[in-house]
Amino acid sequence: MSEIREFDCRPNDQTGAESPLAWSLQRGPVPDADTQAGVTLRESAFMGHLILRGGAIVLDEAVREVLGINLPARPNTLTLDSTGERSIQWLSPDEWLIVVPGGEEFALEKALRHALGQAHFSLVNVSGGQTVITLSGPKARETLKKSTPYDVHPSAFPVGKGVTTIFAKTSVTLRQPKADCWELIVRRSFADYLYRWLLDAAAEFGVSVER
Amino acid sequence: MTQIHRSSRGGRIDRSRELSFTFNGKRYTGYAGDTLASALLANGVDIVNRSFKYSRPRGIVAAGPEEPNAVVQLGASEAAQVPNVRATQQALYEGLVARSTNGWPNVQRDMMGMIGKLGGSFMPPGFYYKTFMAPASMWMTYEKYIRKSAGLGRSPLESDPDIYDHLNQHCDVLVIGGGAAGLAAARIAADSGARVMLCDEQEELGGSLLDSREALDGLPAPEWVSQVVTELSARENVELLPRTTANGYHDHNFVTLHERRTEHLWDTAPAVNRRPQARSRLHRVRARHVILATGTHERPLVYGNNDVPGNMVAGAVSTYIRRFGVVPGHKLVLSVSNDYAYRTALDWHESGREVVAIVDARATSRGELAEQARALGIRIINQSAVIEAKGSDRVTAARIARIDLDAFCVLGHEKTLSCDTIASSGGYSPVIHLSSHTGTRPVWRDDVLGFVPGDVKGMTSVGGVHGVFALKAVLEHAAEGARRALDAIGFESDSSAPKLPDVAERREEPACALFQVPHVKSAMRAPKQFVDLQNDVTAAGIELATREGFESIEHVKRYTALGFGTDQGKLGNINGMAVAARCLKRSIPEVGTTVFRPNYTPVTFGAIVGRHCRDLFDPERYTALHAWHVEHGAEFEDVGQWKRPWYFPRTVNGKKETMHEAVSRESLAVREKVGILDASTLGKIDIQGPDAREFLGRVYTNKWAKLAPGRVRYGLMCKDDGMLMDDGTTSCLAENHFLMTTTTGGAAGVMEWLELWHQTEWPELEVYFTSVTDHWATMTVTGPEARKLMSEVTDIDLSPDQFKFMDWREGNVAGIPARVFRISFTGELAYEINVQANYAMPVWKTLFEKGEKYGLTPYGTETMHVLRAEKGLIIAGQDTDGSVTPEDLGMQWAVGYDKPFAWIGKRALTRPDTARTDRKQFVGLKPRDPEVVLEEGAQIVFDPEQSIPMTMVGHVTSSYYSPNLGHGFALAVIKGGRDRLGQTVYLPMKDGVVHEAEIVSPVFIDPKGERQNV
Repeated sequence: MSEIREFDCRPNDQTGAESPLAWSLQRGPVPDADTQAGVTLRESAFMGHLILRGGAIVLDEAVREVLGINLPARPNTLTLDSTGERSIQWLSPDEWLIVVPGGEEFALEKALRHALGQAHFSLVNVSGGQTVITLSGPKARETLKKSTPYDVHPSAFPVGKGVTTIFAKTSVTLRQPKADCWELIVRRSFADYLYRWLLDAAAEFGVSVER
Repeated sequence: MTQIHRSSRGGRIDRSRELSFTFNGKRYTGYAGDTLASALLANGVDIVNRSFKYSRPRGIVAAGPEEPNAVVQLGASEAAQVPNVRATQQALYEGLVARSTNGWPNVQRDMMGMIGKLGGSFMPPGFYYKTFMAPASMWMTYEKYIRKSAGLGRSPLESDPDIYDHLNQHCDVLVIGGGAAGLAAARIAADSGARVMLCDEQEELGGSLLDSREALDGLPAPEWVSQVVTELSARENVELLPRTTANGYHDHNFVTLHERRTEHLWDTAPAVNRRPQARSRLHRVRARHVILATGTHERPLVYGNNDVPGNMVAGAVSTYIRRFGVVPGHKLVLSVSNDYAYRTALDWHESGREVVAIVDARATSRGELAEQARALGIRIINQSAVIEAKGSDRVTAARIARIDLDAFCVLGHEKTLSCDTIASSGGYSPVIHLSSHTGTRPVWRDDVLGFVPGDVKGMTSVGGVHGVFALKAVLEHAAEGARRALDAIGFESDSSAPKLPDVAERREEPACALFQVPHVKSAMRAPKQFVDLQNDVTAAGIELATREGFESIEHVKRYTALGFGTDQGKLGNINGMAVAARCLKRSIPEVGTTVFRPNYTPVTFGAIVGRHCRDLFDPERYTALHAWHVEHGAEFEDVGQWKRPWYFPRTVNGKKETMHEAVSRESLAVREKVGILDASTLGKIDIQGPDAREFLGRVYTNKWAKLAPGRVRYGLMCKDDGMLMDDGTTSCLAENHFLMTTTTGGAAGVMEWLELWHQTEWPELEVYFTSVTDHWATMTVTGPEARKLMSEVTDIDLSPDQFKFMDWREGNVAGIPARVFRISFTGELAYEINVQANYAMPVWKTLFEKGEKYGLTPYGTETMHVLRAEKGLIIAGQDTDGSVTPEDLGMQWAVGYDKPFAWIGKRALTRPDTARTDRKQFVGLKPRDPEVVLEEGAQIVFDPEQSIPMTMVGHVTSSYYSPNLGHGFALAVIKGGRDRLGQTVYLPMKDGVVHEAEIVSPVFIDPKGERQNV
């Protein structure tokens, strides 16, 4: 048995899988699509999420080699690959969140372990434990201002920034991977609360949910 | 009723939009742009309230937040009731309904007025306590009537239909106050490119400029204001917030602003495009720098009967005339201590009504405004003051006299001047409330005759609040302050910025220090001279307080209630301090400073709560199987923020099971067949690194050196005091890889605990922790039939010699990759299935498809509690309370005293106290009466005959009825309990019943553990 137990917890057959927002969308309310909506909300479900921990110097080269992108050089930022589908988010001085299209996570885990060899690091699949909720629209920023004490003004929160912060009465990793696109990465168990909070906060601007 | 006091022209009201409103049940009309106060004055409504203590009739005194009397109850419907609204700050809208908050049965004929009139002179400070407290038992009766006749409004009896919200704001410069100073400062800050916010509590920006006689750049002041406002609102880096009161100034320049968004429209918030909008909004502002430009409140003078309707603050009279086109009387006597207040006489005169006289306490008055008044032929009487107002429901005359300020006495030359309005001005008190919120003591300045803000880091005070009063000086001071502020936060002020407007210098003579006006009689015998109108505090009351030995203003305030009302003594505090200072023969700053606390004006609870109410009050955490539980009628229990199924009541013959029935059925199913529990809420932590094993050995009390991959071990975690903190199983996934579980409630705390010790004590250990609580859904399949059911859904070899108790295996369950752990919290054969949470639902459903023939029964936390208690298994936090060691629990087997490295808690467990044999020890209790289920928390005694206070020797920690045992049973901690097995203890209850119970082993079922080991 190797020193770390690798385990692919994703079945080939995705029948019956339920994302963290499945229950919320099933129970509702789900506002109708609205072209006049100031805010549009969407769940990017079933993505692959990995938590990578270790020293940046230890990890940097292997990450670049395997993923083709750098570890974010500065705290509270994220880096994206050219397609924008894969990202690395700074979480803490020795902790990063890697998000990739669902199904890639186990291969990535194996490749990274291989590239890192005997280095001291940890890599944990957390794909079932969190989800990505995307906010866009002209009033997305205003909705965020109702929810988080973090400063989301363009001068303080440019594209490429990402922070883990208080959001209403839960916490999220809030980031802006591209213009007019805010991603909120939230724990599964808090996703319903966050969904209802966001619908309420955006109600005055008009909100639509994309499925 | 016509608007008898409305002038024919002027004011910033829209005379084309007439609005009707109701006050105390009577209909009136006003105009768009009115406040409720200006509309009431326009209609000649003299009495707006009854006073708090003496029930004297009261009229409108001021025009801003400092108004003490016109405090109304607002709202047409029950649900929309808002108490404590200052009529001076409430914009008029069509259909507004308001009532006086005080006065019963009504303000015109008041019950308490009788008491006030008869007993007024016998109601010194402390009157209510002294009169009504004996006998104490009767206070409840008196109180009802006293509260009914005195009080400041009531809360609504129906649920508020409106919503309120919060907005988090950040800016470089927050300018508080939109008057001359605030606008000038904001303009300069805006030009620097800084993020600027400007808030002002009035309906429109402009502050005192809106009723100023002065010209800026040759424009009337209000026109200059609208130019600047237009210019600022076009700037992207500026946010203007009128109708927004800065109510609290907290640490680190965190300022709370209360924006009234729809209060000027209707008594509930109208929808916009059929979308809801918040009635009011709390802006939580974090500002790098605060510019305080809150200006001043004019102080009225304190003289006899100065509370009779018709007595007003001079500047307020000007405000009503110039802003609202309301001249609140016919004949004015103006009593002043300074030059600027002369403007009120000029405004009154220009409105075509009679100024009877200006009474000036100073020997001469040769300032510019005084000369203008003189030129208009207005009579000016120097070295004199109004000493008493005449009249009861409205002023009928002013009694004036020559006074000696230094000797504090009347020199004669008394006259009585017929009039219906007395306006007074004793100077201008800087509005220092916000700076005081920070804890900074204000500083008294003799030249200002008032307190100015002390130094606050990150704050600059400009204009009136800093004691700079003349308009030209105010603008210059604000500009200079803004530049200093910008400099402090690294912005360069633009030198090409628009120049300050041209304003004429004003020649003024110095004001004199006049607060309380002497009367021919002593303060105690003179007609009441009110200092704090809202709390009915008189000069005599303060004098009495000082005579009774209260020397500090803080004590005087508490004895007299000075400054305790919703107006927080905005008008009265300085006058009160001046009276106390005079009595104590000290200076005002020697008597003390005045401390203000948030909030500056009352804030509705809704705005404080925001959207954190009802469904959004607190997060509800759901597991991946929550939808199934809801569909299957689960009752839920709150465990931390989690919603866990408590039990699953069935409906049998149209009757829903009680909890007792459901739990009995679920418990038997597990012991006899097979049950399933959603255990996803258990905390789970993935631990990786070459030192993971070593780390576990240091945070758990037991040994981890030899736990092989594929094996699971139960561990105890102690705090450094040796007391049990949390427990759970940890599995060895691979040599350097472990999966720790924690209690549901302890998950976050344990994670922090591990990080704390790793980061601060043992950073050299190569190990990392990652929470996977939400990643894995956990389903416990347990009971004698568990293996049969599992064999139908998994490819894992389940044979007892291959997959033993405390083993874990990998494989597929229902086609989903899973880790299965043979651990048991029920004492039965059990498999805990972990699957990635997104796939939990199909696994759960498959188990039910296959499990039906085995009688698979879902059970909740209550049955889980019963089953584990039958086995004597503890729940950390229920059977332990931070004072219980592993040995107290009888778990010596899980403590490795001989481990090479001292684990957390080891040293504490070697203290004599933790080695005592009479510590409370964990035992079972079997009540003598099998029907009895002891109360959790019940105290235990050895001797039931002992008189109270009895010697308590322990308490019940868990107690249930066991359908498997057929009797009630309990877990408890009892002093020296383990040596007392078989003895009888007693549990005296509140109702006099004494339960008897036998001390037994805490393991009630299967003491050898054979059932879980099969």
